[in-house]
Amino acid sequence: MSMVYVNMFLAFIMSLMGLLMYRSHLMSSLLCLEGMMLSLFIMMTVTILNNHFTLASMTPIILLVFAACEAALGLSLLVMVSNTYGTDYVQNLNLLQC
Amino acid sequence: MNLFASFMLTSMFMLLLPIIMSNTQLYKNNLYPHYVKTTISYAFAISMIPAMMFVSSGQETIVSNWHWLSIQTLKLSLSFKLDYFSIIFIPVALFVTWSIMEFSMWYMHTDPYINRFFKYLLMFLITMMILVTANNLFQLFIGWEGVGVMSFLLIGWWYGRADANTAALQAILYNRIGDVGFITAMAWFLANMNAWDFQQIFITQHKNLNIPLLGLLLAATGKSAQFGLHPWLPSAMEGPTPVSALLHSSTMVVAGVFLLIRFHPLMEQNKTMQTLTLCLGAITTLFTAICALTQNDIKKIVAFSTSSQLGLMIVTIGINQPYLAFLHICTHAFFKAMLFMCSGSIIHSLNDEQDIRKMGGLYKPMPFTTSSLIIGSLALTGMPFLTGFYSKDLIIETANTSYTNAWALSVTLIATSLTAAYSTRIMFFALLGQPRFNSLSPINENNPHLINSIKRLLVGSIFAGYLISHNIPPTTIPQMTMPHYLKLTALAMTITGFILALELNLAAKNLKFKYPSNLFKFSNLLGYFPTVMHRLPSTMSLTMSQKSASMLLDMIWLESVLPKSISHFQMKMSTIVSNQKGLVKLYFLSFMITLTLSLLLLSFHE
Repeated sequence: MSMVYVNMFLAFIMSLMGLLMYRSHLMSSLLCLEGMMLSLFIMMTVTILNNHFTLASMTPIILLVFAACEAALGLSLLVMVSNTYGTDYVQNLNLLQC
Repeated sequence: MNLFASFMLTSMFMLLLPIIMSNTQLYKNNLYPHYVKTTISYAFAISMIPAMMFVSSGQETIVSNWHWLSIQTLKLSLSFKLDYFSIIFIPVALFVTWSIMEFSMWYMHTDPYINRFFKYLLMFLITMMILVTANNLFQLFIGWEGVGVMSFLLIGWWYGRADANTAALQAILYNRIGDVGFITAMAWFLANMNAWDFQQIFITQHKNLNIPLLGLLLAATGKSAQFGLHPWLPSAMEGPTPVSALLHSSTMVVAGVFLLIRFHPLMEQNKTMQTLTLCLGAITTLFTAICALTQNDIKKIVAFSTSSQLGLMIVTIGINQPYLAFLHICTHAFFKAMLFMCSGSIIHSLNDEQDIRKMGGLYKPMPFTTSSLIIGSLALTGMPFLTGFYSKDLIIETANTSYTNAWALSVTLIATSLTAAYSTRIMFFALLGQPRFNSLSPINENNPHLINSIKRLLVGSIFAGYLISHNIPPTTIPQMTMPHYLKLTALAMTITGFILALELNLAAKNLKFKYPSNLFKFSNLLGYFPTVMHRLPSTMSLTMSQKSASMLLDMIWLESVLPKSISHFQMKMSTIVSNQKGLVKLYFLSFMITLTLSLLLLSFHE
């Protein structure tokens, strides 16, 4: 396939690596989640525009909406953890049974 | 073409003049009370002329003035019915009001708002006149509500006192419950007879008149403080004594009885209604007489006496004698107003002392008040040939010789003896014996306003019964022949009451009062009626509505059933079911290892 697609696919893989391998902050995994969503969005838009899939033009917008929802959900979970422990270190989830 | 209607309407219109003048300078100077009093005395004099005309010729008039509006087929106009009842009641009411106005010129002399007091009293009188002369139910309702509102304003005259505000509110609420009955009757008449005029109502034949008559009975119960809606009358004694004398003895509380008297053509045919009225009046008169026996406030005793006499009037309507009830209304006004004025004189002289346990020995310092109090009490109990005799004795005789409910009759007789008992109690505690009041209060009854007003009502208390009953046109014929023991029943009961009360008071005068018996507590706390009925229904209904609206609907259905129960369930379940240890990094790493492994394996698969 062409270089553009490989480039964007690589960006997706990078963000996935970042999501699955993080050290202490929960926030970094959420940021990588956003990065995944971004690369998916760009890939989808470029494919549709290049192949003239006109009827599928609404899918990037729908993807954006769902990405926003999940970002909000993730942030609320982060806020809950941060409220109980003061920080968003992942090791907190193992600390106390609440 | 004589001037009958003109004189009557002139007399009514004269009462409006001081109200109209209240926007001018006249209202601001201190001659306004004198002006109001003179206006009422002239209105009384002028209204005597149509009364004389009626007495001599029996002429009745209906004046229909101004067509107000027509609602489809109902025509509402301003119409005055000047018949037997209104023509005789108006001079009596104006005479009593004249005396009360003069009395309140002495009683309320130091009040800075005395002009407003007189204006309120005059407005009350005007609405009472509207009520009495109304020819259609709508005008009567205007007068009815008007007297209720003025009663509220006057009871709460000293509005800084919390008890006065409570009493005024109580009066309005109890009257409102009666108004429901009144409006039911009006609605029924509108729907079934298409009229609010008395003439059309009395002519139209109808089979079952129970519903409107029940509504009117409820209205009379509310306005005339019959049993069930009676606590507002003793509480209304929070107002100044002239207010008690005018409203709550002579004029306003007889509005309910007057309404039933007006509808006597309808009540004549309905035996059920008559029995209900009879029993209601009987229980009222006995209950309030029992309550009056152990009260300690002189105004409350007289208020209960009024309530008892109102019950007697309702009993009279119940034995189908509306004209006798009306005669009792007119005669009762004289001596009851005088009793209130005498107690006002005592209260003022003893520096606002209303407790009879703190009065005593007033027959030497206040001879005039003493004699008028005694004459008023004698007239109240029906001593032969004073005023009360002509109406009260006739009522008892007619009740004894009529085919009626024996229980109601015996209860009325017991209440008659109790009337004598509590009258003796007032006289014994307030007038006789040694003084129990503070010795520094200046006892003075030398004011001409006080003396003249009480003197006028005194003459009325002695002679008015004779004058009225010998000058009115004959209506229902009283029973002429009866056995001698029935004829003497009322007198015997009264003398029994007097002697018993006097003996008991003298015997127990210096005994120590240890523990009140149950009967005493029942009588002193008004039969526990206000204690129970003012607290229990309101607490229950408020609690029930709070529980159902707030707890049931809001907190349970809208909050707990779905949202809170789901979240609670989920949290519980997740803590029970999950056995994870929160090692998030390891779990994410396992995703990545799976991905890499699958990528490597699948890419090298052929």
